[in-house]
Amino acid sequence: MTVFRTFLKVLNKCKTPIIMYTVFLIFFGGFNIQTSDNSTNFTASKPDILIINKDCEKGITKNLIHYIEKNSNIIDIENKEEKINDALFYRDVNYIIYIPDHFREDFLNHKNPKIEVKSTGDYQASLAEMMLERYMKIANTYNKNLSSEKKIIKNIDDTLSKQAKVEITSKLDTDHLEKATFYYNFTNYCLLAGCIYVICLILSSFKNEHIQKRTIISSMNYKEYNRKLLLSNSLFSIVLWLFYVLLSFILLGNIMFTLHGLIYIINSFVFTLCALTLAFLLGNLVSNKNAINGIVNVIALGSSFLCGAFVPMEYLPNSVLTIAHILPSYWFIKTNELLKTIESFNLETIKPIILNMAVIVIFTIIFVVITNIISSKKRKIN
Amino acid sequence: MFIHNFKYALKTLFRNKMLIFWTFAFPIILGTFFNMAFSDIEKSEKLDIIDIAIVETDEFKNNEIFKESFKELSNKKNKDRLFNTKYVEESEAKELLKSNKITGYLLLKDTPKVVVTTSGINETILKYVTEEIKQTEKIVENLAQSEIKKEVEKKNYNIDYDQIYNKVLEITKDSDANIKNITSHNLSYTMIEFYTLIAMACLYGGILGMVAINQNLANMSSNGKRVSVAPTSKGKLILSSVLASYITQLIGIFLLFIYTIFALKVDYGNNLALVILLATVGSFAGLSLGVAVACLFKANDNVKTGIVISITMFGCFLSGMMGITMKYIIDKNIPIINKLNPANMITDGFYSLYYYDTLDRFYFNVVSLLIFAFLMIAISMFSLRRQKYDSI
Repeated sequence: MTVFRTFLKVLNKCKTPIIMYTVFLIFFGGFNIQTSDNSTNFTASKPDILIINKDCEKGITKNLIHYIEKNSNIIDIENKEEKINDALFYRDVNYIIYIPDHFREDFLNHKNPKIEVKSTGDYQASLAEMMLERYMKIANTYNKNLSSEKKIIKNIDDTLSKQAKVEITSKLDTDHLEKATFYYNFTNYCLLAGCIYVICLILSSFKNEHIQKRTIISSMNYKEYNRKLLLSNSLFSIVLWLFYVLLSFILLGNIMFTLHGLIYIINSFVFTLCALTLAFLLGNLVSNKNAINGIVNVIALGSSFLCGAFVPMEYLPNSVLTIAHILPSYWFIKTNELLKTIESFNLETIKPIILNMAVIVIFTIIFVVITNIISSKKRKIN
Repeated sequence: MFIHNFKYALKTLFRNKMLIFWTFAFPIILGTFFNMAFSDIEKSEKLDIIDIAIVETDEFKNNEIFKESFKELSNKKNKDRLFNTKYVEESEAKELLKSNKITGYLLLKDTPKVVVTTSGINETILKYVTEEIKQTEKIVENLAQSEIKKEVEKKNYNIDYDQIYNKVLEITKDSDANIKNITSHNLSYTMIEFYTLIAMACLYGGILGMVAINQNLANMSSNGKRVSVAPTSKGKLILSSVLASYITQLIGIFLLFIYTIFALKVDYGNNLALVILLATVGSFAGLSLGVAVACLFKANDNVKTGIVISITMFGCFLSGMMGITMKYIIDKNIPIINKLNPANMITDGFYSLYYYDTLDRFYFNVVSLLIFAFLMIAISMFSLRRQKYDSI
């Protein structure tokens, strides 16, 4: 009990960083996990478009704006060039359309007026450009053939109303699963940083020369002391894990009560054990309290960035992912990403998940073995 | 005395491993992580070629417009190529879709139908293209009708369909939209991450200034007590210590710049002189922050370091280090916060050099940084003056 009580005392001293990591998790998690209604109907992606209309809103101009409005999210931004440019840079809008002065007049006089655009050059912008190009192409075509503006507009509307049927085959709740994956990927950072920081700090407190000497002469068996220390540390890790799991129930809701949710939880548990043993290893290696902060940041941030905890795996360059194979976080996050795509669980779909978990367990064993080797060597020196 | 103290302050700073880690190594390590994580983000946002399948129904085989359009859009030589198309049976298409080898497939019966697994941008593009082709079909139909009508109105009942067909084709040609892209070329928003990194390094430099000041404060270190009783002017001592830490800081920033420019290929715009100006002013602001923290708070080294680090990290968070949108959200909704935030002044200065052609915004940031720095120094001077201790 003495060991455990001391453990709690030291733990109480380092609550600030734990609270900080948790706040990060809630903040970023909550930021991205605003649940929206999921539907199994097809919803077309809508690019964010800003229209700067220098012409009056009549006739063909009005119709063009109306068409763009219907198929995109119109973003309202103060009409100042600097604000508009900022919005484009930070991808608040994907595409900006400047409708020139006398657009309608020039169009009807067959001048094919020039439309200036600004584009972020990404998927959404390409889609917006397709939309604008299509409209203008149709309008120009009818303009050659028909005389009155009314007729042109009617024909444009008639043509654009021809749509394709879309059928969705998957009944997977991808929206919620994606959020769950994002959340659990982020816990990679929180669990690693939390475990390493706290356990290293606690171990280094216990390794203080005076305290160590005092412990050695005490009546408590050396092994028992060690076992209790390990137990308290695992208890801490599990409490931390439980806390994040509970938080996920609050933030993610129903999706956690499914089989998918269960596997997210099991996966994170396996990873927590791995983080615990890694922290134990580091705690045995490092005795300088000041160095802990640096190590936590390098290891937790490093494996989070390399393995796709912050930036989704699909965006990472292949070379980085290849390096990431040597980190346990990679296998943890890989399972989370896999879960997102699995529709039904059977032996075939669950096999890669079990394989990933096995790799994490192997890492755990390796960490334990190395810790034992190091601590036994250190004891000999003493 | 000035040079003597300067030399030793420099030596103490360089021998402090923790300091050197946080101010020299940490930004470089973080930059490497950023580079690994973000280098492909923007590339993968560009439109890729989409894998699709088309079910070879009789309707599709007989529909020239659909057949030709998809052929052209899947043509490897076409620079606007959109699709990589497989022509298959329906069962095979379903199989391909199930194994995620294709985004979706097109089934052309009476009306075109697109089958996909989820909603998404690639799926939307497939739908759009299909509709566009369908609409082209409709245009041809409408045009042909109106041409025939015109002929009928002219009381010409002997209609030459070939001629009408050619005329319609003629009309649909050369109808492309006249669109001109006027976007600035520098649109890479991940650069902001690296700018916040420089901002962080500049402000972390404050720790150096703080440590240097602590060496001279009698209530902070025994070294400070020794220095305080020396018959040398305080101004000289503090100035030389601060200068030493400023130089150490500039060396760190210089290394970071070399690394980010040559190894990580970060783009700071074309005006190197202004980049250097901003970095020196930014470091100066960081230094003054450190000095102010050292003077104002009566606490030990660790707590003061903690204060500098928290101020820096919070400032960097607001200027977009942990998510680039954060900077935009603050800039757009509560601009006053970022106008007062030194980390954002540095970040925004680099951003305006990179993205804007005009320099107004850049100079606004530089001047803000200078004001911030002088304010901090004034506060420090005020609290450092006439310090006397009866006992410590």
